[in-house]
Amino acid sequence: MAEQAYTVASDSETTGEDKPTTPYPELAIGIDIGTSQCCVAVWNGSEVELLKNTRNQKMMRSYVTFKDEIPTGGVSAHLSHEHEMFSGSAIFNMKRLIGRTDTDPVIHASKTLPFLVQTLNIGVRPFIAALVNDVWRSTTPEEVLAVFLVELRAMAEVQLKRVIRNVVLTIPVSFSRFQLTRIERACAMAGLHVLRLMPEPTAAALLYAQQQQQVVHDNMGSGSEKIALIFNMGAGYCDVCVTATAGGVSQIKALSGGSIGGEDILQNVMHHLLPNLDCLFSSHGPNEIKLMGLLRIATQDAIHELSSQDSVRVEVDLKNGSKINRVLGRAEFEEINREVFRKCENLVMQCINDAKVNVEDISDAILVGGCSNIPKVRSLVLGSCKKEEPYLGMDPLEAAVCGAALEGAVASGISDPLGSLDLLTIQAIPLSLGICADGNSFVPIINRNTTMPARKELSFTTARENQTEALIAVYEGEGTKVEENHLLGYFKVIGIPPAPKGSPEISVCMDIDASNVLRVFAGVLMPGVRQPVQPFLEVKMPTVDDGHGWCAEALLKMYGSTLDLCTLQKKMLQ
Amino acid sequence: MSVFTGSIYSFSTPQPTRAHRHFHPNQPISRRWRQKSSVITCCKRTSESMSTEDYYELLGVSFDSKPQEIKEAYRKLQKKYHPDIAGQKGHEYTLKLNEAYQVLMRKDMRREYDASIGSKSRNGFSGLGHSAWKGPLRPQALFVDENLCIGCRECVHNASNTFMMDEALGSARVKVQFGDDDEKIQVSVDSCPVNCIHWVDKEELAVLEFLIRPQPKEAYGVFGGGWQRPSNVFMAAQFFQKQLKQQESDNHNKRKTAQGTVQETQAQANARATASMKLQMEMFSRIWTWVKEISGSKI
Repeated sequence: MAEQAYTVASDSETTGEDKPTTPYPELAIGIDIGTSQCCVAVWNGSEVELLKNTRNQKMMRSYVTFKDEIPTGGVSAHLSHEHEMFSGSAIFNMKRLIGRTDTDPVIHASKTLPFLVQTLNIGVRPFIAALVNDVWRSTTPEEVLAVFLVELRAMAEVQLKRVIRNVVLTIPVSFSRFQLTRIERACAMAGLHVLRLMPEPTAAALLYAQQQQQVVHDNMGSGSEKIALIFNMGAGYCDVCVTATAGGVSQIKALSGGSIGGEDILQNVMHHLLPNLDCLFSSHGPNEIKLMGLLRIATQDAIHELSSQDSVRVEVDLKNGSKINRVLGRAEFEEINREVFRKCENLVMQCINDAKVNVEDISDAILVGGCSNIPKVRSLVLGSCKKEEPYLGMDPLEAAVCGAALEGAVASGISDPLGSLDLLTIQAIPLSLGICADGNSFVPIINRNTTMPARKELSFTTARENQTEALIAVYEGEGTKVEENHLLGYFKVIGIPPAPKGSPEISVCMDIDASNVLRVFAGVLMPGVRQPVQPFLEVKMPTVDDGHGWCAEALLKMYGSTLDLCTLQKKMLQ
Repeated sequence: MSVFTGSIYSFSTPQPTRAHRHFHPNQPISRRWRQKSSVITCCKRTSESMSTEDYYELLGVSFDSKPQEIKEAYRKLQKKYHPDIAGQKGHEYTLKLNEAYQVLMRKDMRREYDASIGSKSRNGFSGLGHSAWKGPLRPQALFVDENLCIGCRECVHNASNTFMMDEALGSARVKVQFGDDDEKIQVSVDSCPVNCIHWVDKEELAVLEFLIRPQPKEAYGVFGGGWQRPSNVFMAAQFFQKQLKQQESDNHNKRKTAQGTVQETQAQANARATASMKLQMEMFSRIWTWVKEISGSKI
């Protein structure tokens, strides 16, 4: 199959039979890579269709098994038993690991996963390895993700009978731009071009917009604006968005998200069941890994059961003499995870506040993602929105991928004669973007929840007499100090004419286009001169590489405040 | 670190802005510059993106439109120009749409914007002329009374950088004030067979240029409608100026009222006096209210 892609046929030779069966050769497919599960969907000309693997499954476990030479992913491979996934040879939870440094608490929490996660706690990438024939073989989350994406791509190509190149991926809201580059990197490794990266709840919002428009078409009613809150909680991340929908346009009012999810709930319950979990499994031997796998499966099942019943019996034989045999009640479960639920509630409240909508104006509360089945999660989201019932129009597990497939069709320029694709998603920026100035303060240039595409400009000035160079360090996040935010990149503005401090104007402009590419422009303007002193610099962000945890410290150590910038007070201009 | 005062900006004249403009040729000009002297405004009018600067015009809504209408217009335009649909070339336009939408949807920002574009909110008059200026401002400006113009093109022929033909209306118009040297301009003024090119005060120019543009006529069903302009534009301008002044003073009064600087009524004065007395005489206040209560109940 693979060779065929390289054969070139002349025009005369191509006959009707060779043509792809789908009418849209460049149509982008939608992929939802979840922390635990994954699915692919495509616009088939009249509706969104979920692709099934050879075993007729729509949802595929996201994992890659390293066995012998060739790694195989969860798309086509068949596990003889679920325990095989927890034998140490399978890597999963890539989405929790990708693009994080080893100082990240999420990485530390991942150490109980049944494979090797090593940290040095200095801000470099963690060491991840799978057990192959009793050898720990190192890998990277990008590699694992790429292997998995290659399988997804192959599956889709077989079914759609054409080459797949463009994809729309769903991503968590809280992903930093550096993490997004890692996702793009994995896609590139798999030969895929990322057309759009959509935060998961906004994908569900687009599906909602389509459904609402359908309702309007059917009822011939007026397309009045509807405000919906979408809560998406999967295994790895919890995201919330508020969308205003009318006439097939989903306008994202606000986004919020955090790296809390089913995995945290699982960890909490595991630690609750086995308080000395960390020291028991610290050596990461093959036996410990197996036991960890056993405990994981038992806990996972128990949590699922608790969604429908009040208590569940957990029985795990840990072989080394200890046994877990106890009843876990729902109240107990909720108590263990109180912190997780509190964080979820905060995200919902923050999102409603940021969107500046009244709770009463919210027409629908939409719950999607695997964790939306947990009764406590449902009640807290519905409580925050003052709703009795959640919106029932979409499948909680398929909503995001369907939205991604719709966006794939819209952004590929496909229109539908029946108006089903008369849609648009107007996205917002989930995290503020700014630069380091006034010492180590973070000065936002584009604030979060600004509508995309966006362009904002801010003026800065020199902090020292006769300063000839200035460092522009670009950060992303909500903290007031730069240390609390993600470093995206840095560059120097050079050739500032010697002048008293405060007189050169250093203009920094940020531009984000609809595909979420960030460009930073910077240059010096002297008072009384029309043209910029030097050509403006245009830098595509992020520029940081792995080990970026070190960059900020190194910058500070090397240059200190010699290249500092100060904000200009805009009010003075008026 | 350092705290800056306004002094830095005393010499940071309009030039940086022009450099900004150079940098982003299509970005709407920030509002703050609008309030500066007319010199800048005039320089800016030469830039091509001027017509898109008006947020209302950009969204295709009227000045008194409700947020709902703005929202609908915004969505409609987004569906046409968003980069998802129009591709990368929609980027610049969508940026402008977003900015316009953001300003007009927020009450405080919209009010500020309305104020910055002058008394436009009522009748569509922006306070700015249609023609651009070349060179320094002069007390006099050129104006073509398009009602009289017969479309002979003499003026365009003689001073092509100053005058232009409006092919749709079939009349000449000033494109750039003093776009040619004085001699050429004088020749073209003299060459006009119907003497419709006038020297006017620069203060009058904006109103005249606004009024000479055909305005949509109000239609009643199938009757009326179409376009019209005042038959005597100079008379109309005088009347319009008067109206504007009236409006301005009205606004001024309203603001005064809002600030509470109007004279208080006798009753209000009394209330205030009572209140301050109460505050001053804390000790007596209780007895005072008690006495009042007693007297009140008796009444």
